[in-house]
Amino acid sequence: MYVSREPILQVKNLKTYFYTEDGVIKAVDGVSFELYKGETLGIVGESGSGKSVTSLTIMRLLDEKAKIESGEILFKGKDLLKISEEEMRKIRGNDIAMIFQEPMVALNPVYTIGDQIMEAIILHQKVKESEARKIAIDLLRKVGIPEPEKRVDQYPHQLSGGMRQRAMIAMALSCRPQILIADEPTTALDVTIQAQILELMKELQREYGMALIMITHDMGVIAETADRVAVMYAGRVVEYGTVDEIFKNPKHPYTYALLSSIPRLDVEDQELKSIPGTVPDPLNFPSGCRFHPRCEFAREECKNLDPKLFEVSPSHYTACPFYGVLENVGVK
Amino acid sequence: MEKRVVIKIDNLVKHFPIRAGVFKRIVGWVKAVDGVSFEVYEGETLGLVGESGCGKTTVGMTLLRLYEPTSGRIIFNDEDTTYYFMNYLKAKSYIKRTYIDKFEQLKIDKGAKALDELGNVDRKYYKIFIENGASGLYKYLLSNLKEKRKHFRQNVQIVFQDPYSSLDPRMRVKSIVAEGVLAHRLVERAKVNDFVGKTLQDVGIIPAHMFRFPHEFSGGQRQRIGIARALAMQPKVVIADEAVAALDVSIRSQIINLMENLQEKHKLTYIFISHDLAVVKHISDRVAVMYLGKMVEMAPKKELFENPLHPYTVSLMSAIPIPDPDKKKKKRIILKGDVPSPINPPGGCRFHTRCPVAKPICKEKEPPLVEVKPGHFVACHFPGSLKWKA
Repeated sequence: MYVSREPILQVKNLKTYFYTEDGVIKAVDGVSFELYKGETLGIVGESGSGKSVTSLTIMRLLDEKAKIESGEILFKGKDLLKISEEEMRKIRGNDIAMIFQEPMVALNPVYTIGDQIMEAIILHQKVKESEARKIAIDLLRKVGIPEPEKRVDQYPHQLSGGMRQRAMIAMALSCRPQILIADEPTTALDVTIQAQILELMKELQREYGMALIMITHDMGVIAETADRVAVMYAGRVVEYGTVDEIFKNPKHPYTYALLSSIPRLDVEDQELKSIPGTVPDPLNFPSGCRFHPRCEFAREECKNLDPKLFEVSPSHYTACPFYGVLENVGVK
Repeated sequence: MEKRVVIKIDNLVKHFPIRAGVFKRIVGWVKAVDGVSFEVYEGETLGLVGESGCGKTTVGMTLLRLYEPTSGRIIFNDEDTTYYFMNYLKAKSYIKRTYIDKFEQLKIDKGAKALDELGNVDRKYYKIFIENGASGLYKYLLSNLKEKRKHFRQNVQIVFQDPYSSLDPRMRVKSIVAEGVLAHRLVERAKVNDFVGKTLQDVGIIPAHMFRFPHEFSGGQRQRIGIARALAMQPKVVIADEAVAALDVSIRSQIINLMENLQEKHKLTYIFISHDLAVVKHISDRVAVMYLGKMVEMAPKKELFENPLHPYTVSLMSAIPIPDPDKKKKKRIILKGDVPSPINPPGGCRFHTRCPVAKPICKEKEPPLVEVKPGHFVACHFPGSLKWKA
C-alpha cells in the first residue's frame, strides 16, 4: 500500500487528566504520534493505558470531568484543541469518524439503522432525504449487509453483533472521512466475525484511501492490520515504530514481555512468560518509568527516569534508555 | 498405563424453553446442547472451544447440575450422577427409564452373558440388578443421596469468567474461601485461618489479605481468589469457564501459568472452556470443538492443530490473527454470514449454511461423530476437504 510521508494528524505532547473526588487521574500523560495519509496506526495497550482516552480527546468527546492539560492535535495543520465546538462539529463525522467497541451501546436503539446513517449524510452533505436514503442503502450493501433495502428500516436490536458493527462502519464511512478511528472494533465479536470485519475494513480503507487508527489490546489484530504501532502503558507511549520493528525487534521491556506472554497458535510447546504484578492504579502511577516495578531489567535509575522517547532508528523510538539489555536476552 | 476416565458425558441434551404470552406458554426451545458426548481422563485438561452460542458454557453448567439436563447421562468416577439433584420421584423415574427397563429386557434376552457387552457403569449396575433385582438397584442408587450430592459437589468445582461478579462483595476473602470447606466439614473451625492462608498462598495472594473484601483486589487477584475458592474444596475436577477471558494480556499469562502449576501440584483434572483457540492450545491435552450445540471435532491437541479435519475447525484456526506481521499476507478463510440461531438450527449438518465446501448431502443428512484415527473424532461428511496452513 502507498503510504505518504505527509502527516494528516499530529498529536503532540497530549495530556488529558480527569479530576475526580479521589484525586487526579493522568489518563493520558504526554502522548505524541503522527498519522500519515492512507496508513494504519495501531495503538496497543492494556486496560487503563490511556488508548481510548487518547482517541476520545482527538474527537473532543470527553465530558467536563476531563481536562486537556496541554498538547496539540494538528489535523492538516489546524489545532483541533483550539477551534470552536461549531467548527469541531463540522470535522467530526465528516473528516474524522469513529467506530466503537460495543455497537449495541453506540447505536441509538430507538432509531432505525437507516435514520442513523442518513442523519450524518443529510447534515454534512446537504442532500434531500430520499437521496440520503439511497446513499444509506448503497453503504449498507458496500459493508456486506444482505438485503440492505429491508435492513435500512430495521432497529439495532434486530441485527446480530457483526451486522451492527457493519452498520456502524457504514455510518462512519457515510461522509468519506479522511481519518477513521476504530476503538476495539472487533473485541466484542466472535473470531470468525472478527475476520470478516477486519477484511472489510482493509478493503474499505484501500478503496477510500483513509488513514486508520486501530486501537486494540490484541497483538494479533495489530500485526494483521497496522503499518506502524504505538505501544501504550500507563498513559504514555513506551514504544513507537513500524509493525516489523515492534514485533521482531522490540526495544522496550514492556513490549518484549507483552509479546512473550501471549499464547500463540503458530508456536509449539510455548513457555508463557508472565509479567509480575498488576496494571498500575491510574490515581497513583509509579515514579520515573511507570513500568519499572514490573520490569525484569529495572535498575535504580528507572525510578527517576524522564518520560521521553529515545531514537533507535529514524522510524523506531523507545522510552527505555537501557533497551540494549534486550539484546542480551536474545530477543528475536 | 491405562488412562482412567473421571468424567463421562453421554449424549447430553439441554433445551431451554422459550415462554411467551400471558400464560407463559412454551412456544419453542433453545437447543443449547444437543447430544454431546465426551470423556475426561484423570489429570488431563480437556479444552472445550467454540464461538458464542455454541453451548460450551451450557455443557459446563449442566455438568455441574447448575442446570438440569434435558436428557443424557453424566458419569463421575464410575457412578451415574445424573439423578443426584432431582427430586425423589423424578430420580426414580430416571433410573427406571435408563436402567431398569433396559436391564429387564436384557435379562430376558441374554441373562448374565450381557455383562461383557456393557460399559463400566452399566456393567456394575447390571450386576447389582441380576443379584439383587430391581429393588436392589434402586436401593443402591438412591440410598445416601445427600452424601452422594456432597461428594459430587466437593469434587467438581468451577471457576467463572468474570471475577467481578462471581465473588460476593459483602464477604471477606476468608469467608469466600472457607465457606465450602466449613459446610463440608473438611476443616475444623479452629484451623480455618491456617487453612485459608495456605490456600491463598498457593494461588499467590498474601495470606494476611484474607480479611479484605473483593473490591480491594485487582481483576487478576480476584481471579486468583476464585481459583482459591475452588481449590479449597480439594476437588478432582475443576471446570474453568472462560477463566482468563476478562483479564488483561499481561495478567492472563500469570493465571494460565498458575493454573498449570496447580494442576501439577494437586493432580487436578481441568475442563477448560474458552472461545480463544490459542489459549486452549496452550493449556489443553485434548481439544473438543463445538458448533451450535454439537461437537464437531475432538482430538489430542497436537493432532487437532496439525491435522484439523472439520471445515469449521479449519476456518476457526484461520480466522485467528497471529501476532507476527510476516503472517498477515496469508489468505484466510472468511466464513460467510453469522452463526444461525440455536432455536431453529439448520437441518443436516448444522454448519452447512456457512461451510465453504458444503455439498447437497450436508443439507439433508446429519453427519455422526466418528473416530477417524485413534482418539480423533470428527462429525463431517467430507472430513479434511478444507485445507489451510498457518
